[in-house]
Amino acid sequence: MNRLRESSPQRKRQKVSPSLTNEESILYNLIYSKKDIGIWTGDMKRETNLPVTVFNKTLKELMSKSMIKEVTTIQNKGRKHYMAIEFEPSKEITGGNWYTDGKLDTDFIAALKDVCFKYISKQKVSTLDGFLEWSKKNGIFNSEVTPTQVEDIMKTLVLDDAIVEVTSNGYGDFASIPVGRVCYKCKSNVKVKGELKYGLVPYIPCFACPRISFCSPDGVVSPRTCVYYDKWHVLEVIHI
Amino acid sequence: MVSQWGIKFAVHLITNHFGKIVAKVCETLLRQGPLTLELLIRFTELSKEHVKNSLLVLIQHNCVQAFICEGGDVDESRVKTQYLVLFDNILHRPRFPKFMEIVLQELDKHCEKVLEGLLRDGRLTLKQMIDRASQGASQENDSAVVADAVRENLCKLLMARYVERCPAAEVTIVEEEIITKKRGAKSDQNFKAPETTIQRVIEAAVPGDAIRFSLTADTGCNSDEETKPADINVAENNEKEQLILWRVNFEEFLRYLRDKLLIENVRARMDDGAATVVRAMLEATRNVDKRVKIENSVPLELDQLFTEVIKTENGLQMTMDRVKAYLVQLGCSSQISFAYTIDLKHIIHLARNEEVESIVLKRYGRDAYRMFRHLSKEKQFCPTDKIAESTLVEKKEAPKLLNRLLKDNYLHMEKLNVSVVGSNKQTQLLMWRVNQPLLWEYVLDEMYHAALNLSLRMAFEQEKDEEILNVPKDKITASEPLQKKYKRLQNVCLLLGSSLLKLDDALMLFHDF
Ligand code: SF4
Repeated sequence: MNRLRESSPQRKRQKVSPSLTNEESILYNLIYSKKDIGIWTGDMKRETNLPVTVFNKTLKELMSKSMIKEVTTIQNKGRKHYMAIEFEPSKEITGGNWYTDGKLDTDFIAALKDVCFKYISKQKVSTLDGFLEWSKKNGIFNSEVTPTQVEDIMKTLVLDDAIVEVTSNGYGDFASIPVGRVCYKCKSNVKVKGELKYGLVPYIPCFACPRISFCSPDGVVSPRTCVYYDKWHVLEVIHI
Repeated sequence: MVSQWGIKFAVHLITNHFGKIVAKVCETLLRQGPLTLELLIRFTELSKEHVKNSLLVLIQHNCVQAFICEGGDVDESRVKTQYLVLFDNILHRPRFPKFMEIVLQELDKHCEKVLEGLLRDGRLTLKQMIDRASQGASQENDSAVVADAVRENLCKLLMARYVERCPAAEVTIVEEEIITKKRGAKSDQNFKAPETTIQRVIEAAVPGDAIRFSLTADTGCNSDEETKPADINVAENNEKEQLILWRVNFEEFLRYLRDKLLIENVRARMDDGAATVVRAMLEATRNVDKRVKIENSVPLELDQLFTEVIKTENGLQMTMDRVKAYLVQLGCSSQISFAYTIDLKHIIHLARNEEVESIVLKRYGRDAYRMFRHLSKEKQFCPTDKIAESTLVEKKEAPKLLNRLLKDNYLHMEKLNVSVVGSNKQTQLLMWRVNQPLLWEYVLDEMYHAALNLSLRMAFEQEKDEEILNVPKDKITASEPLQKKYKRLQNVCLLLGSSLLKLDDALMLFHDF
């Protein structure tokens, strides 16, 4: 659909241009040339060199003729950004799939993550298709959630280290999944035994201290004069 | 090259154990590299006597190795004895309790006692060990019985490779250029990265395996040149045996700790079964490759591996197919003539990554953590927007977090000028990457710094409340403020002590494994 729209601009523009004043057509052509990226008013003023009052009037006119529209950009929500009516804002402008009104839809993401994570922890292990099938069957999502979106969510869960991506070996939890298939497994199901635990270094006093770069026996702060031990380190570490 | 905080930490340890003068000699060697006695005296501005004695102490405790470098040039100073400081061995000093614990677990408390003596005194002959044991033994005990017991324990320690013959007092290595010239004829395929002087000196000093762990092998004991077995009588042999110097073989302990880390890491990431397979693999090939830093485990045939697996409680119920499946999961699908090998380096790298990532999570939050993990996985430069998209981080937040990570040396960034499609404008893209080797070095340096501060703080706490340690117990219980103070000191020492141990595990992961 988009492509169709893009292939016929010439014709469209010719159709509308006669009704435009000279200034309007200068401004419109500029906005149109920016396609699905659109343009900021500041840039328009600079590039068209129109006096401010004329510029404002022309912009208003084009808006009232429904030839251009205002769009929100994720880069700069405060700035007024315009685009020719026939284009859909590109990913660079909207931020992509997960953005609504130029803002990352964190609530939606969190909700999706939660569903995916709960499903995997219940199943112990699941493939992407397995999850999609289940969600379809149970009508978990409305049609707006695409398989790519679910894949994005799984990937972030992997990056969060909440789940891990593994290949099935056909045994145990993997029994129902063909060998070699990529699947997702819950991290919390894996028990950490033995004494060695990871990620404890960050909680170690001094290592966790924001002042460590100034702190040395002859530095601005010194371990002998340090007051943080009593204040927060000991507390923080003991609480863990 | 040892990092700045690494040097400071090592010097701190030596100051604590042997005083300021020895520490000064040690620091000079750490900063300047190998030096002759004359140069050491000049750099340290200490008297010859002081420097000599310090060197003797450091050699006795296996922190310095003497060597002669024979070279093509006729420069006088080059053929003189030089002294090389062994940084790793200094860092092992706080680990002594860990080593003793291992011997206690794997062997028994008598062996632990022998080991303790060696750790305390650095190097000992059998005679000295027997003398030490006799001093502690009760009068009725026959001295011959004590001697036999010590000898037996030493044998056990040697069998387990926890103790070794001391290296040659002084070794000769050949100037590097000459080696390179000789190597020139060989094909490129055989070319290995040039070894550092440290590696060459250490390798040259270690006696051949046959005598390194043998109590009875009769050789020119502390020399690297092997002598032919001569027909010497038993008494003479015994006498010789009593004069051989022994020391702790740190390498074996580190290997033990490395194996433990590998197994536990696999257990945490995968499951008990996978850990059993890794353990069996390491156990079965234990005596084939004894080095700590190896990339792959020694190739092992499936049958042999299976025999080892079923020896363990966990492995008893495993089938051959199951073991094979675990091997595939561990990424050892590529078999060399039906033999399997595990990529140990990969597991070590994963463990290091986990550690660094946990630091990022704690310091910079979950969004930064996801971006950092994404970049670690990508192993290449990625533009800001792409990172934000793949990690579902708000595109306006992403640059801020990335810049914080950059400022603290956790990320590497390069600017890229690209032209905008459809116009002749140029725009600048910021490209980000995790530079693992550099980052690991940096984190290691941070760890040394923290270890130094922690241990200084510990000393300070103890010094500050020294008087309370001398107050009799009943007096402490009688007075509430004293009790409170005592409790606090106890808590702080416990916390700092356990923190140091944990930090040391991390130091080994980044430096030794
Ligand atoms: S001694 Fe105190 S100020 Fe210094 S690094 Fe440690 S906690 Fe921070």
